[in-house]
Amino acid sequence: MNEQATLLSDKINAILSGAGSLLPELLLAVFFLLLIILDLFKSKSIKQLLPWLALTALFSTLVIQILGGYTSGNEAFLNLLLSDGLARFGGILFSATGIFTILLSLQHKPLEKLTEGKGEYYGLILILVLGLNLMAKSVNLLMVFLSIETVSIASYILTLILKDNRRSIEAGIKYILYGSLSAGVMVYGMSFCYGFTGTLNYTSEGFALALSQANGLLVTVAAILVFAGFFFKISAVPFHFWVPEVYRGAPMAVVALFSTGPKMAGILVILRFVAPFSDSLAFSDVQLFLGIAALATLVIGNLTALWQKTPRRLMAFSSVSHAGFLLAALLAFGTDYTSGILFYLTVLLFMNFGIFLFLQISEDELGVEELEHFSGLGKVYPYLGVIALLYLLSLTGLPPLAGFMGKLLIFTNIWEAYTLYNSPMLLALLGVGVLLTGVALFYYIKIPYYLFFKRNLREENLVISLSNKLLLAFFVLPLLVLFFKPDLLLNWIEQVLAQ
Amino acid sequence: MNDFILSGLIFSPLLAALVLLLIPNRLQQPIRVVALSGTVVQLILAILLYFRFDGAAFANGHTGYQFVEKLNWIGFSLGSLGRLQIDYFVGVDGISIGLVLLTGIIGVIGVISSWTITKTVKGYFLLYLLLMTSVMGCFLALDFFLFYLFFEFMLLPMYFLIGIWGGPKREYAAIKFFIYTLVGSLFILVVMIGLYTSVIDPVATAAYLELLPNGVASQEAVLQVQQMLQQNVISGSELVRTFNIPAMMEPANYIPGSLLHVLSGSVLWDLPLRFIAFLLLFAGFAIKVPSVPVHTWLPDAHVEAPTPISVLLAAILLKVGGYGLIRIVYPIFPDAGAYFSILVGGLGVLSIIYGALCALAMNDLKKLIAYSSVSHMGFVLLGLASLTVEGVNGAVYMMFSHGIISAMLFLVVGVIYDRSHNRMILNFRGLASRMPAYTSFVVIAFFASLGLPGFSGFISELMVLLGGFSAPDVTGMLPRWMTVVAVVGLLLSAAYYLWALQRMFFGKYWIFPELREKANIADLTTREYLMLVPLAILTLLFGIFPHLLLDKMGVAVTGFTELVLQNGQEQLNMVLSTIIR
Repeated sequence: MNEQATLLSDKINAILSGAGSLLPELLLAVFFLLLIILDLFKSKSIKQLLPWLALTALFSTLVIQILGGYTSGNEAFLNLLLSDGLARFGGILFSATGIFTILLSLQHKPLEKLTEGKGEYYGLILILVLGLNLMAKSVNLLMVFLSIETVSIASYILTLILKDNRRSIEAGIKYILYGSLSAGVMVYGMSFCYGFTGTLNYTSEGFALALSQANGLLVTVAAILVFAGFFFKISAVPFHFWVPEVYRGAPMAVVALFSTGPKMAGILVILRFVAPFSDSLAFSDVQLFLGIAALATLVIGNLTALWQKTPRRLMAFSSVSHAGFLLAALLAFGTDYTSGILFYLTVLLFMNFGIFLFLQISEDELGVEELEHFSGLGKVYPYLGVIALLYLLSLTGLPPLAGFMGKLLIFTNIWEAYTLYNSPMLLALLGVGVLLTGVALFYYIKIPYYLFFKRNLREENLVISLSNKLLLAFFVLPLLVLFFKPDLLLNWIEQVLAQ
Repeated sequence: MNDFILSGLIFSPLLAALVLLLIPNRLQQPIRVVALSGTVVQLILAILLYFRFDGAAFANGHTGYQFVEKLNWIGFSLGSLGRLQIDYFVGVDGISIGLVLLTGIIGVIGVISSWTITKTVKGYFLLYLLLMTSVMGCFLALDFFLFYLFFEFMLLPMYFLIGIWGGPKREYAAIKFFIYTLVGSLFILVVMIGLYTSVIDPVATAAYLELLPNGVASQEAVLQVQQMLQQNVISGSELVRTFNIPAMMEPANYIPGSLLHVLSGSVLWDLPLRFIAFLLLFAGFAIKVPSVPVHTWLPDAHVEAPTPISVLLAAILLKVGGYGLIRIVYPIFPDAGAYFSILVGGLGVLSIIYGALCALAMNDLKKLIAYSSVSHMGFVLLGLASLTVEGVNGAVYMMFSHGIISAMLFLVVGVIYDRSHNRMILNFRGLASRMPAYTSFVVIAFFASLGLPGFSGFISELMVLLGGFSAPDVTGMLPRWMTVVAVVGLLLSAAYYLWALQRMFFGKYWIFPELREKANIADLTTREYLMLVPLAILTLLFGIFPHLLLDKMGVAVTGFTELVLQNGQEQLNMVLSTIIR
């Protein structure tokens, strides 16, 4: 009895001492509750306040994580969470994602006019960011599952937030179905891992040791099953079927959020998850599987994007192809690929939010539903057109924009890994990755093609609000700066990782 | 010595572009004047550079660059791979000096030719000036990354210039151009990544290892670092990887065990990886040259582009391809260059013959000239593949001379198109009687292009052929029949030019009835004289006094051939020996 009491108090102490490292997450949770409570008031002025409260929360977590220093070392929260440099950098990205999502939402009239559930909407963004933070920090399979589910549930509701939009409902239902399927498969795989190793803590030595002794085939199967859940989050093939539906139906801000936040967190989780397999017999199989998945995602994403007629679906498959690219980046084992990947994720964040803001403006103000509707708009709104062009070039990976630098770093790592291991898979990834950049140009350039080459069919000349213009410039600026001075970010990433 | 003249050359058009941004759209005339002044400044700087450039200065491929500017631009840690260093590194040598001058000249001619553009003038000249900056940057960059940046940055302005201001099928032509060249540049990108991960900057590494006593780079320190590198005593994290093109030319700077090291023994599909890298780079630049069979974008782009853009495209953009081969591909992979000389020379001859045959079959005057470009650029490949001093001199001279002549040819086509909105050869007859001055410029342009003695085209073709014929004996590179076949190309080019001349300009005046109403067949205007006269003088000047350029480039070209031949043979033996083992 007494023993149990000391055990309990030990655990409570451990939790309390680790609580400091959860400062950003706690802050988000508190603000979430605050938002929900305030949402109960009918007063209009309070409703107006809600997005700004959410912004405050995210902004403070952003600042806290940029400053760092709130953690006492790498303390693991009862071996569930690890607050290292990777998680901290992830947290910075996620907070920024949340802020950008709210900024985009504020520019979207239907969301602004939302009378019911405004608090829920902004609260759920906070919860989603909280879940992303936990994903990046998790070092325990169960914790991984819980945080992924937190993100998923928040995502389902965010998809459905505009209830009167029929597409929104269809998208939400499909999303939930695919999501629960892949979650189930993932848990099944995790149970295998637990069976092999007797521990859920996948960064522990015991986990890697037990895996190295287990049957290679079964370990491969278990790993593949677990990857199902991760792939769903990062929208990799074959778990990408929800992507076009959701991108078609959800509000643009939410789409932008999905194209960045969960993808970034998923990549960080995979980054942690593959490490213990490096000693196991199954390693080459896992590598092969990831390689095939990366190739398939790259090819399917890019080639399907070629046939799309609406900007939303085009961006959906572009997002799939970026997932493939990130997976390929993960395969450069043996090199210091983490900072390259983090650089790419940062760039992805800015260019995706930029392009989705552009699409939101085109859709809301100019009524663009299909690619053809862009015809001639670049001549009427040159500012809009030129900035859109910059985003698209960055997405393609052309200089002088940071997308090029990101690709360059990742290709460098793959080449270096090929030098080390001479694996044909890496060569294939390099070749396919580079060639598909040419394909990517072909579909991205469609938008500027309509913007500048085609004749404008409509007469009206609308004014694009100053706030939209400023936001557009805000997202493009880092892309230019990070091309000419990538070392600014890379050196900082290095510092954060070395924490 | 260093007064940043090269930066001035690169960025003067960009500066003018920034000024343009401040001018409102409707003030068309000021916009044109600003664009003109931007290119005129560039031309003046290019002429100054030409006179100040010391052609006799020692050059051996690694060194000998003049007016060098080198600034640290990007540097970051690659973790266990050491550091990465990207420099703003520009310089000029005998190979680039002619092309710099050419770019200056054509830039001004192009603006004068663009004077009649009325559709969104500001956008047009913005893109035009961007293009001039990136072309000039390509010719002056000595850092691969910088080169690649400028190389890629040529695509976008060109895409819009063709796609917005072009002819009826402009959209198709613009996309085809963009995709072709982008794929080419992706090939280059792959090799660039492979190169910079394999090559160190010995000076920067010495500085990093604190081997430089007073922080001054010395030859001993460089040698010491290179020895240490080859003995594998420097750990990976202490290496400074670089995009520095001269550093890439020295085998001693390659990290042992890296895939592109001469002794790496790495193979892919039974070919040494260095050979594959050469082929990729060659493919990338061959698209730009363009060489048969990757030339098909060129006729489309030329036909659809507005006249000034055709001029730029033919006169300077194509030269970037040939220049890349000489500046980058051959000096960095001399072994593969020697190994594949038959392939390169063969494609050159194929381009000469095939281009000429296509030109012979064309009814559209602009297409005829586009194919004649393909044919003439084949001589660049042939001269380069011979690796003789004459051949390479001829290749470089050809790039300059073709720049001047093709500009003239496309301007001449522009003149008839402006007047009749048509350029089908069979729609016109006897133009000489109505447009005598125009006809005389056409004759000059055609004769210069087909290689009549006295014009610059003759000098370059002669040198290429001399190089080609002596190659089997001097360098052992090309079989003699290739050069013999190339001579047939000369005959063909005489045929298509003279035939076109005869059909369009001589005989009794007649034009196609439907054209008669719209057409206003008048002789040259002052603006057109302003463009054609200087070009005609230049082609004569450089045809009669070839030493004007040869003196400037001779030492550099000799250095280039020595470097490629010597290193090439040595490295080829090393590469092949590791494979057999």
